Amino acid sequence: MRADTEQDILKTELWWTALVTAVVTAIMLAIIYAGLVHHINPPSNIETVDPKTLHLTGEFTEGNLGTRVDGSQITSRIVATQFAFQPQCIVMPANRTVTLRFATPDVIHGILVTGTNVNTMIIPGYVSQVHTVFTKTGDLLMPCHEFCGLGHSQMWATVRVVPEDEFKPGPDGRVTCDAR
Amino acid sequence: MKPAELREIDRPWRIWASIIIVSILAFSVVFGFLILPIVQGRAAGLDAFTAICRAVGILPGSPAVRQPTSEAKAQPTTQVAWSTDLIRSLGQSTPAGAEVAQACVACHGERGIAADPQNPNLAGQSGVAIYKQLHDYKSGSRVHEVMNGIAQGLDGRQIIDVAAHFAASPRRDLDPTTAEVVDEDIVRLVERGDPARGLPACNSCHGFNAGGPMETPTLSHQNREYLARQLHAFRSDGRRNDIYTRMRSVAAKLTDREIDKLANFYATTLSY
Repeated sequence: MRADTEQDILKTELWWTALVTAVVTAIMLAIIYAGLVHHINPPSNIETVDPKTLHLTGEFTEGNLGTRVDGSQITSRIVATQFAFQPQCIVMPANRTVTLRFATPDVIHGILVTGTNVNTMIIPGYVSQVHTVFTKTGDLLMPCHEFCGLGHSQMWATVRVVPEDEFKPGPDGRVTCDAR
Repeated sequence: MKPAELREIDRPWRIWASIIIVSILAFSVVFGFLILPIVQGRAAGLDAFTAICRAVGILPGSPAVRQPTSEAKAQPTTQVAWSTDLIRSLGQSTPAGAEVAQACVACHGERGIAADPQNPNLAGQSGVAIYKQLHDYKSGSRVHEVMNGIAQGLDGRQIIDVAAHFAASPRRDLDPTTAEVVDEDIVRLVERGDPARGLPACNSCHGFNAGGPMETPTLSHQNREYLARQLHAFRSDGRRNDIYTRMRSVAAKLTDREIDKLANFYATTLSY
């Protein structure tokens, strides 16, 4: 189609404006729907941590990672690093409020747990914290969803959601995939 | 057309554009600061006023559930923490480094190329990698009957100097005619990894200029026996100074055959 006159040009412009408006509206509606119905929202936790010494001290040292029951609180600590999660499998009970805490020593990563509302970026220098309730049992896939380097596509972990009565922490309050 | 006429034509457009933008803004404010916080806050057990204040930013948003302070004991696998100054000094070869390197000749060869293939070649290795391993030998994070004693005899400056010295030395020459025909699945592991097993490609960290953790050593021009022994040690948990089990978790998924073939691949193939 050739645009010969001012009118033709105007018509084409309006068509494209309408198309772009429709696409943007559809995307915004999808975001609004996800926010209202699936309760997907950006985590509100702002907590800083030094990425250079993450492995040396405190909460995110290697021995302290994984799921741990502390009183009534169930928390899993996970480190996302190039190009693996540590630990690569975490156990979570179904139908209980659980907390997932993530940190990274290197670059920006991101995670989602398939079929749930868990979705967050993991940014060097910050702890990403998500509270959720898992309702489906089984092995859920948790891939890295933010390109983090050449090994990004092989970077994934498993969230093993077990029925509440099968969720049995050891004497130190820890639960691992190996022990089951 | 006169400017006044042009303005007259533009007028309805201006008005409509303003109305549309203001209404989108108004909708966003109402939706983002009122509706969404109220609906989502209800599920998190927050009353409407608190939820709105948190969304606007008047109240701190977190943590919604307070975290207990962690009393966990630190169990570092290494004591090394990187800084820009340290990395910069590892790039500068000094005469002092050559002097310290005299202590390495017996096992690692006069030019950093080991005669006994059980020992690693150091020439052309990344200075950052050599520094990390020497530091780990010194702190006891990595265990070796000879190296622990040697590293404990070096001070921090000497470790930096000797690492920079070997990093600047020319690598072992490879004879391309000795390279074996490599199996396709091994090349795939090196270049693409195995997503089904969660195995990243070796080269995503160990390749030339690959990115990945900075302390990863280069593997090409290394000795086959040394490489295979380290992979076995990582797999059996005998060696555990890799930060966040990066290598232990990889080696645990490899078979004996893959370990042998991979060691062979890196020891004989040019330019990886």
